[in-house]
Amino acid sequence: MGEVIVVTSGKGGVGKTTTSANIGTGLAAAGHKVVLVDTDIGLRNLDVVMGLENRIVYDLVDVTSGNCRLKQALIKDKRFANLFLLPAAQTKDKTAVNPEQMKVLAAELKAEFDYAIIDCPAGIEQGFRNAIAGADRAIVVCTPEVSAVRDADRIIGLLEAAELRNPKLIINRIRPEMVKRGDMMDISDILDILAVELIGVVPEDESIVISTNRGEPAVMDKTSKAGEAYRRITKRITGEEVPLMNLDVPIGIMDRLKRLVGLR
Amino acid sequence: MTRTEHVALKGTRDGLVLYFDPAADFGVLMNELDKLLKNSVQLLQGASVRCYSGKKEFTEDEHAGLETILKKRQLELTGWLTPEEVGVPGKSQSYATQDKETRIWEEGMEEGSCLFVERTLRSGKSVQFDGHVVVLGDVNPGAEIIATGNIAVLGSLRGVAHAGATGERKASVSAYHLAPTQLRIADVVTRGPADEADGRGPEIARIKDDQLIVESAGVKSWRGKAR
Ligand SMILES: Nc1ncnc2c1ncn2[C@@H]1O[C@H](COP(=O)(O)OP(=O)(O)OP(=O)(O)O)[C@@H](O)[C@H]1O
Ligand SMILES: [Mg+2]
Repeated sequence: MGEVIVVTSGKGGVGKTTTSANIGTGLAAAGHKVVLVDTDIGLRNLDVVMGLENRIVYDLVDVTSGNCRLKQALIKDKRFANLFLLPAAQTKDKTAVNPEQMKVLAAELKAEFDYAIIDCPAGIEQGFRNAIAGADRAIVVCTPEVSAVRDADRIIGLLEAAELRNPKLIINRIRPEMVKRGDMMDISDILDILAVELIGVVPEDESIVISTNRGEPAVMDKTSKAGEAYRRITKRITGEEVPLMNLDVPIGIMDRLKRLVGLR
Repeated sequence: MTRTEHVALKGTRDGLVLYFDPAADFGVLMNELDKLLKNSVQLLQGASVRCYSGKKEFTEDEHAGLETILKKRQLELTGWLTPEEVGVPGKSQSYATQDKETRIWEEGMEEGSCLFVERTLRSGKSVQFDGHVVVLGDVNPGAEIIATGNIAVLGSLRGVAHAGATGERKASVSAYHLAPTQLRIADVVTRGPADEADGRGPEIARIKDDQLIVESAGVKSWRGKAR
């Protein structure tokens, strides 16, 4: 029986899709059977990031409304035979699916896959409720900005209310030199407010932009720092203990991090 | 509950109560009352209302003026409340001895019903309570607490807190780490500090001479206050 993990944030553009693609690819590279589900109906992206856009025939709405069988809509990844994508519909909107249908879908996916990674749309409305409906665990992505942290806090509250407790946090796009100058929120500031377990810190990295445009997740790029961060996050998701990578964040902060990161 | 700077209107189980700031000028009170009623008149039409202004007594003329304004909004003045009757907000009057109630009201809200919130209030959460509120956790930015009594936060208070929301100027807000976005007590509003100093320890905010003052609430002074 597999696990359904939703990747969410509240605020838009903080890296949910990037994270979903990289985690999914990372888990598949480690040999797990994985499906990525894009629930951002009307604004689908995950297919592009995965480089699978031109293979879409059926989509999520076709599956939930019974237009096709799940197997027909799943797109096999270019690199890994054990990685699949269930794309979002582009010509419909969030109300084309409801949480009950998502629960049914999640159960079906769990029977088939080790991990189902749900890429959640921004916001707290129906798209969010759909995305979390069938999830067993949640990963919250935020950037080191006050507004992103505020939204992450709201989301964590809503997840708790929906019985999705102990979400894990990814801090994305951190820029060590800005933190050093005191121009960016540091990690302990963020953890002070959110008080959840940190599962990874991803640096701001050009290779993300390049790999996104190429449709090849950075997690496969051995030279990418962000890729390295995602490789470590992937391992932590499967329960492995891995230290945080050295991002050259000032000492003191790193010390504190070691205590705060719950490594199990 | 609605309020202006010196006037507060509150619905209770026994009907509407208008609170007037005893220290405010009558003209100011009536001006604010008019504004307040104008904004909420739809909800109120035809209701009866009782008034409270502490120990201050209105003259015949003032009384008549007040009644005129209420009539204009189709409200009926049915009586005045004494300090004894007001007591601590949220506490029923029937069982407690009148003497004790008065003392509490006079000395500053040391007793009364209390809501325990046994978790952190995250952004988007709002807690409103007729009485005191104690939070066993943090109050994050984007969350708010509105209480007619005191507010105490065992963790960090970074959101918005409004104590004494129906005009009780003796209410206080205390926190282990007091760094609110905005703090209100009765009708006094302040913004939080721009830079968040760490490790100051527990602090308590109160109104003194019409200003919100924040003081250290060290163990010693807590003990001193308790008796
Ligand atoms: N670590 C990073 N370094 C550099 N660029 C990044 C990083 N993470 C994300 N980006 C860029 O930020 C943009 C937004 O990322 P992404 O689409 O993953 O966010 P999202 O949360 O899914 O957005 P939406 O809310 O619109 O769905 C993309 O252009 C992506 O390439
Ligand atoms: Mg996205």
